[in-house]
Amino acid sequence: MAWEQEQPVPVVFDGTRRELGGMLLRGYALLIPTIGLYRFWLTTWKRRFYWSHTVIDSDPLEYTGSAIQLLLGFLMALAVFVPLYGLFFYLSTQSSEAAIIGYGGVAVLLWFLMGYAIYRARDFRLSRTLWRGIRCDQGGSAWSYAIRRFLWSLLVLVTAGLAYPFMAGSLWRYRYRHSWYGDRQFGFVGSWRQLARPFYACYGLVVAIGAVGLGVAAATGGVSASGVPSAEAVLVLIVAAALTGWVVLYYQSREISRMFSAVRLGDAALSVRVSARSLGGQYALFGLALVGSYVVLAIGGLVVLATVAGAAFAGGGFDPAVFMQSLQSSIVVLLAIILGYLLLLGAFTMMVELFLGLGFWKLVAQGASVIGIDSLASVRARDEDRSLAGEGLADALNVGAY
Amino acid sequence: MSIPARFHDGLTAQVHAVELDYEAGMLVIRAGDGAPLGRWPAADLHALHGRRDELRLGANGQPTGARVVVEGRVNVARVQATLPVLHQKRQQQAGREVRLAVTATLALAAVIGAYLYGVPLLASRIVGLVPPAWEQSLGETVAQQMEASLSESGGLEVCDADPDSLANRALARFGAAALEGTGSPFDLDIKVVRSEVPNAFALPGGQVYFFSGLLEQADTQDEFAGVLAHEVGHVAHRHGMEQLISTAGTGALIGFILGDMTGISVAAGLGATMIDARFSRDAERQADAFAARVAERMDFDPSGLADLINRAGADDEFARALALLSTHPLTEDRKAALEELSRQRPSGLEPPFTDAEWTAIRSMCETAAPLAPRTKRK
Repeated sequence: MAWEQEQPVPVVFDGTRRELGGMLLRGYALLIPTIGLYRFWLTTWKRRFYWSHTVIDSDPLEYTGSAIQLLLGFLMALAVFVPLYGLFFYLSTQSSEAAIIGYGGVAVLLWFLMGYAIYRARDFRLSRTLWRGIRCDQGGSAWSYAIRRFLWSLLVLVTAGLAYPFMAGSLWRYRYRHSWYGDRQFGFVGSWRQLARPFYACYGLVVAIGAVGLGVAAATGGVSASGVPSAEAVLVLIVAAALTGWVVLYYQSREISRMFSAVRLGDAALSVRVSARSLGGQYALFGLALVGSYVVLAIGGLVVLATVAGAAFAGGGFDPAVFMQSLQSSIVVLLAIILGYLLLLGAFTMMVELFLGLGFWKLVAQGASVIGIDSLASVRARDEDRSLAGEGLADALNVGAY
Repeated sequence: MSIPARFHDGLTAQVHAVELDYEAGMLVIRAGDGAPLGRWPAADLHALHGRRDELRLGANGQPTGARVVVEGRVNVARVQATLPVLHQKRQQQAGREVRLAVTATLALAAVIGAYLYGVPLLASRIVGLVPPAWEQSLGETVAQQMEASLSESGGLEVCDADPDSLANRALARFGAAALEGTGSPFDLDIKVVRSEVPNAFALPGGQVYFFSGLLEQADTQDEFAGVLAHEVGHVAHRHGMEQLISTAGTGALIGFILGDMTGISVAAGLGATMIDARFSRDAERQADAFAARVAERMDFDPSGLADLINRAGADDEFARALALLSTHPLTEDRKAALEELSRQRPSGLEPPFTDAEWTAIRSMCETAAPLAPRTKRK
């Protein structure tokens, strides 16, 4: 094959955190006057940012979707959700047993629908991705994907997680074997075999860490009848949790690297290397940024409270009764509370976007390279696929990641 | 002078290094050897989103993926200076999007407005469609859940489990008399239960709970009868059901705004409480008015209920401080309204309870807890 002699072409990502941050700040601000409707525009801008800064062989991706398509999709999804919501309401008024069974049924239904939504959302994003003037696309059936995912997840549940590599391999394969770039179909050469070793090693480690951690904690008097764990036991449990987190991250980095590296497009092959350390670095950064932003917000909040309810802080102390009185009398304080709540929520989602969302995309993009890219020059465009309006369900179910 | 660019024809995934020229209203795309690859009329051109210092052009009538990509600040500026139509089109497009966003926002605001005023109205209509049997079983579920949640502190122990005791017969008679003529499909079940908390409430379907903490604070039978009649009013108006329907409606709306139909989030809960507070105040006024009407058939002063609620609430500083979020109207206003309503009360009526009955009711919770299991009266 020709590509073996060729140099791999690295994927370049040249977006900056500052650009995304500015866009998010503007977007969050506009969410308020538009009663939340701006989120469809914000999503569109965000995707344009990610796509246009991902450059493969000096040509960036282009996102061609629009906010209006997303808005329409959401309205359509409401048609599914309004009856479901009514069902929820009806169930909540039933006798306890019926309600529990009913809620369980609805939860299972939602879990199933999520698979459908994920596949449709991917279809929407792919069919609006342009590179070198040629559109990507996704075939297959969203229902079929949803059924696979659902049945596999049942099996994973029954086997206490042991079936996971088979599920991951099967779903990755389904997704990529039904993906297209122009008239060329993607291929997938990965399987559960590449996942089995890291997965079962990590599985064993987690079980061992859990057993040792719980054992040591119990030995040091952590699980005593009094219910008050000793300091040593807490420390042991924290260490065990941190180790478990590290093992999970390690496995994640293996799965991402191996599965993405199994993606083929004709004679071209994708190769991705993501290390556990860089993945962990993103989470550490995220934690720091979150704490930092909350400290800033807390200081700001205190200043605001002192201004609107200054009397409570008179004399250097804090008088809750006076504070409560000014709460009662002033609508300004109530607005300040609502604003504060929105700020906390906004800061959290912003840090998730800036450090986890961007960080993850950057890691995968910068760790990726394409071998045999010249073979793609012969790809031809396929007919238009305009059947999809928005991601509907995915939006309503909150599964659309990027 | 021509400008260098990259060209994708939208048919194959090839990159052409091209030179752009502008001739007679046409953007001419030429390959390196001078052969023309395309002629795009300037009027059909539109700019697409690109990175900084990158201009991506598409054109109507061309394959949808066909792109001319100009890179570098100077080159982009030159193209834009030559083709002012790009700027106009971009502004038109932005204008369209803004108009659409504004229209959608106004529509949503109108829906919210209609919702806030419509849901309470609609809820009272829908309540009429809810079968009484359903509401009754719902009330039983709520009672079960409530008792289960209180079971650690001993549950809701009924003070006098004997339905044929003097006090319980007096309560049942009062309830039946209060409900008379309202056409309510429910049988009342009034329970006096042991609890420190000064409270009384009505569940959907006719169950009324009166806490001993509130009973102890009642100085006269006017006050007690007033509060009880008020709670019967909630039952007659089916306020519990109404509240439930309207809370569900508000929750759905907030879910829509937040774009997360699955999360029964804190925001939704908080928002629903605050929005529904208005509706509940109306319900309280209706129940007060009901109590005043009952007082036209029995000799008690309904404004006593405001006194009792005021006295019970005085102990609870925190509850007073949060009055902004409270679902109860301010007691002073209520008292004034009740006095107004009870001005034309006829004289010569029978009091709701005889002296013996009132004494029995007052002492219901003073006796030792009965050992017999609680029985449901229907």
